[in-house]
Amino acid sequence: MNEIAIATHSLAKTYSSAFGRKKVHALRGIDIEVRAGEIVGILGPNGAGKTTLLKILLGVVSPTSGTAELFGRPIGEAQARQNLGYLPENHRFPPYLTARQTLDVYGRLSDMSSEMRKERIPRLVEEAGLSSWIDIRVGKFSKGMMQRLGLAQALMNDPDIIVLDEPTDGVDPVGRREIRDRLRALKDRGKTVLINSHLLSEIEMICDRVEILNKGKIVRSGSIDDLVKDGTGWRFFVKNLPSELDLSQFWVEIENSGSDVEIIMESGAPAQLNELIDRLRAAGVTILSIERHRRSLEAGFIEIIEREGYQI
Amino acid sequence: MRTLSGSLLLTFRELWAMRITQGVLVIATIAWLLLSFALNLEVVEGSIAALRIFGFETNPVNSSFDQETQEVIRTAVSLDNFVLAINEFVFGAAYFLGTLLGLFATMPLIGGFLEQGRIDLLVSKPISRPRLLTGHLIGVWLTVLALVTYLVGGVWLSLSLKTGVWDATALVSIPIIVVMFGVMYSVIMTVTVMTRTSGLALVIAYGLIFLSAILAAHDQIEPVLAPVAASIYIGFYHVLPNFIEVVAIQAQLVSGEAVNSWYPLISSLLFGVTTYGFGYFWFSKRDF
Repeated sequence: MNEIAIATHSLAKTYSSAFGRKKVHALRGIDIEVRAGEIVGILGPNGAGKTTLLKILLGVVSPTSGTAELFGRPIGEAQARQNLGYLPENHRFPPYLTARQTLDVYGRLSDMSSEMRKERIPRLVEEAGLSSWIDIRVGKFSKGMMQRLGLAQALMNDPDIIVLDEPTDGVDPVGRREIRDRLRALKDRGKTVLINSHLLSEIEMICDRVEILNKGKIVRSGSIDDLVKDGTGWRFFVKNLPSELDLSQFWVEIENSGSDVEIIMESGAPAQLNELIDRLRAAGVTILSIERHRRSLEAGFIEIIEREGYQI
Repeated sequence: MRTLSGSLLLTFRELWAMRITQGVLVIATIAWLLLSFALNLEVVEGSIAALRIFGFETNPVNSSFDQETQEVIRTAVSLDNFVLAINEFVFGAAYFLGTLLGLFATMPLIGGFLEQGRIDLLVSKPISRPRLLTGHLIGVWLTVLALVTYLVGGVWLSLSLKTGVWDATALVSIPIIVVMFGVMYSVIMTVTVMTRTSGLALVIAYGLIFLSAILAAHDQIEPVLAPVAASIYIGFYHVLPNFIEVVAIQAQLVSGEAVNSWYPLISSLLFGVTTYGFGYFWFSKRDF
């Protein structure tokens, strides 16, 4: 399980306009390693280079410099993609194909035998919850159904590496949970999953690790726990909070819910905590409870990106 | 082969779904039926004694003519000449209409193939880009070959059954039409791969066909041009496809005459091969 599934070395991509007058550096020397069996989230603001990174790994875009391998094979080789499944963002399956035909065509393109296609298509369609739609043209499918079919297509050749670009886009909450369960099941089977998603709550629930990109560089990588631990703070439930009380120096968020007030303090240094308690008590505030507040991945992500300088 | 078959199958299914093939099959069938039922010939000693089209009868050898005139007309409307004239007309029309309509009908296909969200999924599969494009091209060419064979072969069969004249040389139109379609499709493919604008590709392909009509008159135009302009003009003549001049080769082949010059066909083929080569190179290198 310690095998390196995905590796990139100083991967860079520069897009040039016609005649090379304007250059956009989408990636500036990316080094990542994803071990077999990991679920890794690729995060970053718009224009950070996430999609470019995924497309380079898939052979859709060529790097300007640097190299990348999938299970040790250079990405330039078509055979390196033999073991790869991909769900693109805003994918478009030919609308005239049925779900069965769609999976059959993409199965052929993945060099699957006829027997294997016949065996896997009904199973994947059933897992996607589309059994009653198997012979219906995909042009009649809703966005959520297309996304489920897209995931089935990505898993068609039983790949060891699965790259998903916004996999839960357009999927309802129940469907999202099903997709999460399927991804966890894939992890249990030792599959490697790389996910690009704007839904950070989804990433937080699924991924072992994240790589955060900004302006074409990896600005942070680590486990979800590492990322949220940094910001472990405190949550207060209080009564009688005077509206004129100024707590801005503590960088807190205040949320009113009826007579109770919730105060979230993202930074958890003990000195600051005690200072805030003193300030509240001096103002006659009744403190009902104080508990540890684990910041969300979203809060951690925003802090990192703002620190790095957010810019599209 | 499995990966190639996937690309091929996708192209066939798309052509079928776009109703292009069905449309051409219907048109070809109508042409057959018209020839089979609307045209009736009365043949006497190898000449057409009477001709009925949609029930209207005409007798080319009018008895009011003197004996000598009747003989001249009888020779002119010999069955062989009549069949030849029909073949030249039908297959000449098939050459122009087949190619122009074929390009128009298949143009959206390559545009759809290169659409974002679709091409990125296709090129992420374990199939090399040249092989993926080859599957698409073979699908288009085979479909055009099948449709042209159905149209031209059907008309030929219908006419042969009607007249008893079985001259297979007329069938040479089939490869000529398919090859010239292939040459012009190279423009559609390459321009769309480069620009991802299939509409522009069609305009350029039709523009080249129009230009070939001007280049076909090189014997008349070149002498009246200034030396520099004449060099540019003749350069275009040698480099660009000679679509219009190839129809003369087709007519000569259909009528069983010796071909004056194969050069227009050869230079067009070279243009097609070069353009396909460029398109393949671009498709292999570009980002999607």
